[in-house]
Amino acid sequence: MRIWRTKKPDPLKWIRFRIIIVGSVLGVCFAFIVVRAFQFQVVEGRQLHSEAAVRYTRAYHDTSKRGTIYERNHAELALSVDVDSICAHPKQIQSPKRVARRLAQVLNLRNASVREKLCSGKSFVWIKRHVDPAEDSVVRALKIDGIDFVTESRRFYPLKSLAAQVVGFCGVDGRGLEGLEFYYDAFLKGRESRRTVLRDALGRGFTEELFSEGQPGYNLILNIDKNIQYIAEQALSEGVRKFWAKSGMALVIVPRTGAILAMAHVPRFNPNAFGQYKPWVWRNRALTDPFEPGSTFKILLVGAALESGTCTPDSKFYCEEGAYRIGRKVVHDVHPHAELSLQDILKYSSNIGAAKVGEKLSPVYFYNKLKEFGLGEKLGVDCPGETSGSLRPVRSWSQIDAGAICFGQGVSMSSLQLAMAVSAIANDGVLMKPYLVNEITDVQGRTIKRFQPIALRRVISPEKARDLTRMMRRTVEKGGTGVEAALMGYNVAGKTGTAQKVDQEAGGYAKDKYMASFVGFVPAENPAILVLVAIDEPQEEHYGGMVAAPVFRRIASKTLRYLKIPSKPATPGQAHPEGPQRPAERLRVSHGEPQMG
Amino acid sequence: MKRGKVSKKRHPMVAVGIALMVVFLAELLVYTWCRVQYVRTGYEITEATNHHQRLVELHRKLKVEEARLRSPERIMRIAQQRGLVMPDSKQVVVIP
Repeated sequence: MRIWRTKKPDPLKWIRFRIIIVGSVLGVCFAFIVVRAFQFQVVEGRQLHSEAAVRYTRAYHDTSKRGTIYERNHAELALSVDVDSICAHPKQIQSPKRVARRLAQVLNLRNASVREKLCSGKSFVWIKRHVDPAEDSVVRALKIDGIDFVTESRRFYPLKSLAAQVVGFCGVDGRGLEGLEFYYDAFLKGRESRRTVLRDALGRGFTEELFSEGQPGYNLILNIDKNIQYIAEQALSEGVRKFWAKSGMALVIVPRTGAILAMAHVPRFNPNAFGQYKPWVWRNRALTDPFEPGSTFKILLVGAALESGTCTPDSKFYCEEGAYRIGRKVVHDVHPHAELSLQDILKYSSNIGAAKVGEKLSPVYFYNKLKEFGLGEKLGVDCPGETSGSLRPVRSWSQIDAGAICFGQGVSMSSLQLAMAVSAIANDGVLMKPYLVNEITDVQGRTIKRFQPIALRRVISPEKARDLTRMMRRTVEKGGTGVEAALMGYNVAGKTGTAQKVDQEAGGYAKDKYMASFVGFVPAENPAILVLVAIDEPQEEHYGGMVAAPVFRRIASKTLRYLKIPSKPATPGQAHPEGPQRPAERLRVSHGEPQMG
Repeated sequence: MKRGKVSKKRHPMVAVGIALMVVFLAELLVYTWCRVQYVRTGYEITEATNHHQRLVELHRKLKVEEARLRSPERIMRIAQQRGLVMPDSKQVVVIP
């Protein structure tokens, strides 16, 4: 008989069984993890990595900070600072009409314009660029969904209208549009940097990778002196206002180097809000706009006559008692003269005398000498828009043309060309290249490039230049046309100019439109500065000696004091000196007949 | 007797396993600590960079303000309000 006994279950077997089950489950899970890991890391790794990168990295293109423009004493004329611009993501805005109303109110914009932008359906629109801090904080306080703020660089001109036509300005995108901002844009703008920033879930950046390093823009250090520029602008504004003139220009130049210390224009404009002014006001008219120089041109004529050897300062010319026929035209002097020496022709600014001097010169020689003085060519100043003026080829000169050119009609030149030609006289006959920028530096202030004075050519000999200087000094002495330019304690060499303007509509010369000018340098024996003043269409009075010469005096006297140029006792015969006793003396001198300049 | 032998043989393996586990965990902790430090330092660098940029920007804005305050036009206006005038050429002595 077989006895069946119930087999006692083996607990170890049961444990093994459970271990196998749990192990299998874990194994399957682990295998699943391995498979998924393989899938994520290997199969889809690249795609997933790029998708993730989009979420936690952000690429930045940082536009480099534009370089600063300094005047000669390192005061800022133009610099860039960060400001906020307000933009919108219209698709994220809940009620565009209500938001548009609020923004238009705060930002002083037209409601319809803002509403149109917010209802455009675009993913990004600018609401207002370069807002001021007050507007920025008010809009931030509104906390409107879909309204964002972008930090941008904005150009500021802290001295406002001072030297605005020289410095120019930038557009909203930071590119130079006018003046030195335009001419030196490649140096000023620098190079942008590219970097990628890793961000956390809150959008905070915690590390970054630099792809290309940026380069901040270079700085410009100008020859312009803000104080001399201010002196010139103030004196010019007074002159233009006093004579109700259309506009005016004034230049202050160092004759020995060609460095431009001041380049003033009236009317002025504020480059921080250039859009509010007419485009012609933006222009640096001292080098872009040619005009007929009138009698100031006689300096060049006399220089050519002396250099040719055909005349000396004492050469005599019969001045036909005030009327002289050249071909079919009659040339007049304001005051008739019988016989005048060459130096008196310059002193009294006789047109007939000038025409007679011109007749003694070979036209080809005169033409070539004028070319050497810089007429009809660009001098290469470092500012955009320089004109070459106009000097017709000598073969096309008629008899009257040849005569008229001698007293500054039928030729045109910019204020800068005229100033540099006269500077050549002050510089012992050597014509210098004018320049505005003295140095280019990097962001640490290290010199990248330094500009040196450049002598273009010798125009006349030093002896003839000194003779001509002595003759020009007589212009501001009693009886000369430029007595209003005389300075106490300094010898001035200069020349007045009164040029009729061409009537663009009717043709020929306008009867009542003049360009009054004065150009001179001081101290005559060792010139420190040359000042040119040109006032366009003055009313009531139009002679250069009455309109432009007083402006010259104000600019020159203040500039010499500022530059600490020591004065000397006035020479006998020097006309009215400035100073406390000046009004009485000026009255006396004013009775000395002013000539047509 | 057999089991005793087996358990005696397993002891060193367990010890090695535990040691490896400890090393692994230690390495994990060190790595995690390094990562945390890396991220925290990244935050600090970002914050310092932003602070530096804010100071640079403030400096630039102060330069704008300084340039505005030192403008010849403003100084001349204040001088005139206080009755100051430009000296006459006779009143100026230039010291060489």
